[in-house]
Amino acid sequence: MAKPIKTVQTVVTAVDEPARGVKRLVLADPDDWELPPFRPGAHIDLHLAKGLVRTYSLCNEPTDNRRYEIAVKCEADGRGGSRFVHEELRVGTALGVSLPRGGLKTHDQALNVFIAGGIGVTPFVSAIRDLREKGRTNYVLHWASSGHPVLPGMVADAFADGHVHLYNTAIEPRPSLAAILKQYGDEAGAFCCGPTSMLDAFDAATASWPAERKHVERFTPPAFARDDNAAPYTLVLAQSKKEIVVRPEIGLVGALEELEADVSVSCAGGICGSCRTRWLEGPPIHNDSVLSPMQRQHEVMVCVAGCAGPRLVLDI
Amino acid sequence: MNVQPTSMQQVKPTWSGVVRYLHATPRAFLPMKSFNELTLVAGRGIEGDRYMIGQEAGFYSHKPEEGRQVTLFEMETLEAIERDAKIKLLPHEHRRNVTVEGVPLNHLVGRRFWLGATLLEATRLSFPCRHIEEILEKPVFDPLIHRSGLNCKILVGGVVRVGDIVRPE
Ligand code: FES
Repeated sequence: MAKPIKTVQTVVTAVDEPARGVKRLVLADPDDWELPPFRPGAHIDLHLAKGLVRTYSLCNEPTDNRRYEIAVKCEADGRGGSRFVHEELRVGTALGVSLPRGGLKTHDQALNVFIAGGIGVTPFVSAIRDLREKGRTNYVLHWASSGHPVLPGMVADAFADGHVHLYNTAIEPRPSLAAILKQYGDEAGAFCCGPTSMLDAFDAATASWPAERKHVERFTPPAFARDDNAAPYTLVLAQSKKEIVVRPEIGLVGALEELEADVSVSCAGGICGSCRTRWLEGPPIHNDSVLSPMQRQHEVMVCVAGCAGPRLVLDI
Repeated sequence: MNVQPTSMQQVKPTWSGVVRYLHATPRAFLPMKSFNELTLVAGRGIEGDRYMIGQEAGFYSHKPEEGRQVTLFEMETLEAIERDAKIKLLPHEHRRNVTVEGVPLNHLVGRRFWLGATLLEATRLSFPCRHIEEILEKPVFDPLIHRSGLNCKILVGGVVRVGDIVRPE
C-alpha cells in the first residue's frame, strides 16, 4: 500500500551560507504552487529522515507565499538535525515539511520590542519584514550574539533605519533585559527568542506583565496533540508483538504510526469508521460517534481514543 | 378526512442548480486555487488535481478510491455554517472541487446528473476530515458532519465552467 502523505512536499530551491556555520535554505513547491499560509515568525517541522524531525522558524514574510525561508546554525554537538541540514540538503533535495504553526501577533500601534539571542533572530526577521511591508516603523530589535551577529544582511533595512541594537556578548556582558524593557514604558509589547538562559531572564523581567503584552517564542506542538494532560500509557500490539509508550504529545495515532501498524485513519475525528480496531486490554476511553455500547466492549476507534489504564492492548 | 399520499407518477420532484466556483490543487495541503473552468476526464479525475487517478498526490491518495474523481460541495452549507456556527468558511476552504448552488447533494448518492456538459455518478457522501481544522485553524469539523459534500465518478468528461447548469440525468 502506498504511504500516506502526511507532509507538505517541497523541494530545496536555494542554499547559501550568509555567515560562517549558518545556512539559509529556500523551500518551494515542485511546481511553484502557493504554499500553505503562515503568520509572521511561524515555524515548520522539517522531516529530514526517518525519526529525524526538526522545527525551524520561517524568516520570510507571509505575503511571500511561494517560499519557506529558514536559517539553520550548525550545532556541531547538537542532536544531529542541524548537521543533517548542513551536510545533506542541497538544491533539488525533496523535503516533507509540516503545516506552519504558531507565529507572532505584532501590535499595530504599540511598540514591538523584539529580543533575540543569536540565531533566535529568525522569527523576528519575518516579523520585521512583515511590519516594514505594511509601512510600520513601530518596532525595535535588541540582538545579542557571541561574536558577530549571524544574519545581519537579513535585516539590513532595519539596521539602516536605526531599529536594531547589537550586543556582542563575547566582549561585553549580557544586556540586562529588565533595563532594556523598562525604557519602553507600559504600552510596548515584548517578544523573546533565544537560548534558555535568555528566555528565563525574559520571563523574570516580564513576570508582572499582562499576557497579551509578552510572547516567548517556544516551538508549539501540532494542533492535533490535544489532551496534553492525559497520562502516558503503554500501547501493545498483541499480534505483531510491538509496544511503545504513548505520550500525550504524539497520541495514539502517532504511536501507531511509529510502530507502522496497519490501521487506516481517514477522518481522524471518530465519525467515518475507518480505523475500527479490536482491543483486548485497557479499557480504552472512547471518543467516537460510531460504535454502540455493545461494540465498544471489544472495539475502539483509535483515531480519537485514549486509555483509562496503564496498558492498551490492541488485537493487531 | 382521508389523506392520500400524492401519486409518485403524477408529480416528479426535480431540481436544477448552477456551478458557482471551481477549485483544484496539485498536492495535499496546498491552497486550492480558483479556476473559471476545469477539464474533467472520464474515469480518472480533474486535470491538475491531486486526486487524478494515475497521478495521485492527495491526503487520501494512499487509499485509492474510484469514486473520488471529482468532489462537490453546496453553497447553501457555507451559508448555514456561517448562520448556525458563526464560522465563515470560504469556497476555496472546504477543499472540494465544485461549489454548486441549488443542488441537493445529499439526495444524489447512487444517482447520475449533469454538471455542465459532463455526466457524473455520485458514489458516496464525503466525510469531513480533522486535518481541515489544522489547515484552516477553524473548528469546522463538527459543523461539517453529514454535509461535507459528495464524491463522484466521471462518466462523460468535458470542460466545466463557472455558471454551468447542474441537472438530473
Ligand atoms: S478515522 Fe474515521 S473514525 Fe477513525
